[in-house]
Amino acid sequence: MDFELTDEQHLIRDAVREFADAEVAPIAGEIDRDHRFPYELVPKMAELNIMGMPYPEKFGGAGADYVSYIIAAEELARADATTSVILLAHSSLATFPVYRFGTDAQQEKYLHDMASGRRLGAFALTEPAAGTDAGAGTTTATLKGDEYVLNGSKIFITNAPFAEIYIVFAKTDPAQGTRGMSAFIVERDTPGFTVGEAEHKLGIRGSSTPPLYFADCRIPKDHLLGGEGDGFKIAMQTLDGGRIGIAAQAVGIAQAALDAGVAYAKERVQFGKPLATLQAIQWMIADMATAVDAARLLTYRAASRVDQGLPYGTEGAMAKLFASEAATRVADRAIQIHGGYGYTESYPVERNYRDAKITEIYEGTSEVQRMVIARSMLR
Amino acid sequence: MRIVVAYKWTSDPEEATVRPDGTVDWSRAKPGISTYDPVAMELSRRLAEAAGAELIGVTAGGKGVGAPIASKAALGRGLDRVVIIEDDSLREAGRSELAAVLAEAVRHIGDVDLVITGDSSVDVAAKMVPTVLAGELGWPAVAEVTEVSGQAGALRVERAIPGGVQVLEISGPAVLAASADAAVPRVPGMKDLLAAGKKPVEFLELAALKVPVRSAVMTVTGRARPERKARKGQLIETTDPAAAAAELVTALREAGAL
Repeated sequence: MDFELTDEQHLIRDAVREFADAEVAPIAGEIDRDHRFPYELVPKMAELNIMGMPYPEKFGGAGADYVSYIIAAEELARADATTSVILLAHSSLATFPVYRFGTDAQQEKYLHDMASGRRLGAFALTEPAAGTDAGAGTTTATLKGDEYVLNGSKIFITNAPFAEIYIVFAKTDPAQGTRGMSAFIVERDTPGFTVGEAEHKLGIRGSSTPPLYFADCRIPKDHLLGGEGDGFKIAMQTLDGGRIGIAAQAVGIAQAALDAGVAYAKERVQFGKPLATLQAIQWMIADMATAVDAARLLTYRAASRVDQGLPYGTEGAMAKLFASEAATRVADRAIQIHGGYGYTESYPVERNYRDAKITEIYEGTSEVQRMVIARSMLR
Repeated sequence: MRIVVAYKWTSDPEEATVRPDGTVDWSRAKPGISTYDPVAMELSRRLAEAAGAELIGVTAGGKGVGAPIASKAALGRGLDRVVIIEDDSLREAGRSELAAVLAEAVRHIGDVDLVITGDSSVDVAAKMVPTVLAGELGWPAVAEVTEVSGQAGALRVERAIPGGVQVLEISGPAVLAASADAAVPRVPGMKDLLAAGKKPVEFLELAALKVPVRSAVMTVTGRARPERKARKGQLIETTDPAAAAAELVTALREAGAL
């Protein structure tokens, strides 16, 4: 068993950290304060081949391994959780289905642009009445001649205002439940498709997540991904990988909170000596560091299984469950170390805390991850 | 045109800790390309891209400089190939000895039109290697270089001088030391880093280079900081501005400042 990263993984971590420190961290506070989607970072990440890291070069990707991609997502989250989720929603959720399930023609038309980061993607599964129960969606796609006609709406769609390519899930046969769900590629300017107003959220405030509306939206028949009825399978397989990305995002947020906690404990003097000399603080830092390390190991293990071609659904769920809850806990402790200052916007730990919470919810709540893990243990 | 960029693989002093007895613990300091060398690489890369030149990295040092991650880190920053002299006898080598080894490596490569180095190494910071290297090669040395353009045999070099910029034209090969802020190094792209391991790496044996024994050896034997001037730290404690001003003037007169 080898716990060491490869040379390339080390160098990729250094390079993404260099980028994140120079370009992302300085604007992280402003992105959060102003609820601003940092679109200017997308072409910069594309220039560094970060937007399609795990996809082959022939499709416009970097041809990197999955662990490297996960390290990149972690490093971005360490600087800013919003920037990390822009990458993850684009790469893990929108690009993956086209890569895995797209026809040659669909890949020719979309994959190169997506993996190279020229066109941003979004993944539209959640509906007002269909969150964890993803199969309960009521958006429909009706075949009429050579076109599907989409009607319905989606909510909480990451990247939606700036995306150009959307993976949209809709029922082609509502009577069949999840087996009647299909996946479609929808382009931004398709008539009948509109993007709504962004939500105001507790955290990852720069990540715009508005609703989508489809009103007699006609898309070509050949924009169906996979076959009719394959939608639920496509969504679940996509989310299996997506969860490893969210685990990495959680690790990055937790590492940022740990770093801030350690730095503050060393510099803040109370009772005539640094906080770091107090056992109460030392124990908090020890628990935080252990949680971050355990979360990182689970996350890299899941990513490594992707690289090895091994099943990773359960391991990805474990990584996301543990890392997300660890991130919230570590950020909470980081605020505690900062005392009153930690509760203010003067220090980044309150942002870390707000950003961490979403990792317990999106791409499958902690409860869903427990369902996935338990199902695999008890089958 | 053939450009050589000389770089150093060393530990980052920011990650070293100073023990209570004043000695430095490097055990947890991560090795990497010396801080200012990516600036030299960026300057070289811009010239190489503009001139269609070959860009070759050269480094010499003790065990570790030839590690695959070291060459990949350099090659990921746009170098075409690297030439490495890894010999533990170079770990504690003086600047003149190191420069002589680099000079032999430059001669080995052959047909080199320009050598560019960083401003100084992050660990030793002697600022000697570029000058001694140029001396070894019999080439001009120019420090504080902020910009370089042109072609082999017709280089236009800008260097920072007190109060402004000096522009030089150099008709033959030269050694340039880039100023610390000459360029903002590009962050290596993911594809560059993944391709780095496929680029050529040449190892030279120190013994085979037959570095001549130096008639004069220059060694850094000591360092000292400028002495801190003692400050009086005199506080004027009054809320009355006029009284404060009067007291300040009196104090300055007594100190001979007025």
